[in-house]
Amino acid sequence: MRTSGGSIAVAAVALFLGVLAVSQFRSQDVYSRSLQLETPASLTTLIASLADKNSALRDEIFDLRVRVTAASGSVSTGQFSLTEGERQLGQLRVFAAQDAITGQGISVSIDGAFDEKAMSDLVNELRNAGAEGIAINDRRVGPRSWFAPGTQGALALDGTRLAGPWTVRAIGPADVIFVAVTRTGGIVGQFELIYRSTRFRVTKESALELPPLR
Amino acid sequence: MAHVTPVQRQHLANGLALLIPALLFGFLVSAQWQTQLERSSLAVRYNAPLTEAAQSLQNEQNALKAQLAELRKQLDSIQANASTQTDASRSLQARIDDLKARAGLTAVAGDGVIISLDDAKQTAVNAKDVDKSICHATDLTDIVNTAWRGGAQAVAINDERIVGTSSVYCVGSTIMVNGTLMSPPFQIVVIGRQDQLLGAFEDPAQLRDIKQRSEVHGLGFRVSRASQLRAPEYNGALNVRAAQPK
Repeated sequence: MRTSGGSIAVAAVALFLGVLAVSQFRSQDVYSRSLQLETPASLTTLIASLADKNSALRDEIFDLRVRVTAASGSVSTGQFSLTEGERQLGQLRVFAAQDAITGQGISVSIDGAFDEKAMSDLVNELRNAGAEGIAINDRRVGPRSWFAPGTQGALALDGTRLAGPWTVRAIGPADVIFVAVTRTGGIVGQFELIYRSTRFRVTKESALELPPLR
Repeated sequence: MAHVTPVQRQHLANGLALLIPALLFGFLVSAQWQTQLERSSLAVRYNAPLTEAAQSLQNEQNALKAQLAELRKQLDSIQANASTQTDASRSLQARIDDLKARAGLTAVAGDGVIISLDDAKQTAVNAKDVDKSICHATDLTDIVNTAWRGGAQAVAINDERIVGTSSVYCVGSTIMVNGTLMSPPFQIVVIGRQDQLLGAFEDPAQLRDIKQRSEVHGLGFRVSRASQLRAPEYNGALNVRAAQPK
């Protein structure tokens, strides 16, 4: 009896060690991120996002091909005009936030407690949804803009204090951006759970106007 | 020294003979149980084709970005030749070049700092702490925010240049920067005045959460001075469609 009792004890310990070893291995394996570990729902979202980005790239490639062909022709005939350069300059001024811009988009009103990290997250979400230009109150958000805490519940954008209530305006495809921020589980829904006493209002706008970067 | 009798030796042999199968059984039971927990039947059925589709789209995106870069180069070359024709075209070209540099459409080289960010590797963690041990999209946006605050001239995450329309997006545990799939480790190249940048990153009030998770939960986070860094040009779409200059 002592023999079999000892063997069973050894076997039980070994079994336990086996379980522990696998658990440890698996807990480290949590870190090895790969697409294979994603859920079908996440993969579907990733695919939709990749498809959108690729579609935007294809549109721009098509546009550029036309412009390259036109520019090559005009140079070879000695008739190169400034039109192509001016068109590019206009596009770059919008992209670099150097010009005041107009266009459709959305407006997010925030009335109540809010902070600079949440504002940075909102700007990131708007950019991800396709915003081409963003302004908070009367300040344009630029390519190198940064957020910091402000005094007395305010926040700072590029070192300038912005007190609430805040109005964040984003020019871009209004329907797409509106759905992106207001969807169930979206950023505004999350804010409403975190900043319970703050009022958030999102509206689609047919004509917004944003100032240039200062 | 204790004397081992033949009977005791036999007991030991019996115990050892059970040890290996028991260990193997433990491995199998545990692995099977955890695998069943993690992978639903839906995941088993659909993950392979969905993963393949995502990878295929990412490969397509890389090819599209290369095509776009080539076309931009061709247009630049045509304009550079044409800009020698008149004073007006020369002046226009100078303004275009200046704006491209400001917008992140030209590569930048110089000194600065490199920030390494990675999921914890060595620390044994409880399931509830896993979240604190891995990199999140918000960690990257916080680092980029600190870089701009510290006076950065250019920032790139794993060779994706950060521009005015860049976003860092997280789906499941996969992070996308400029629409490109990424996973840790992340290397963030920040070009600018080193002392000023280091001052910003070493400020205890900055990146508090990341620093605390690095100390307590083993999140990989390191800021180091570096020379001759390169931030590549932005190679995505400019996507100026709805916005019109006023």
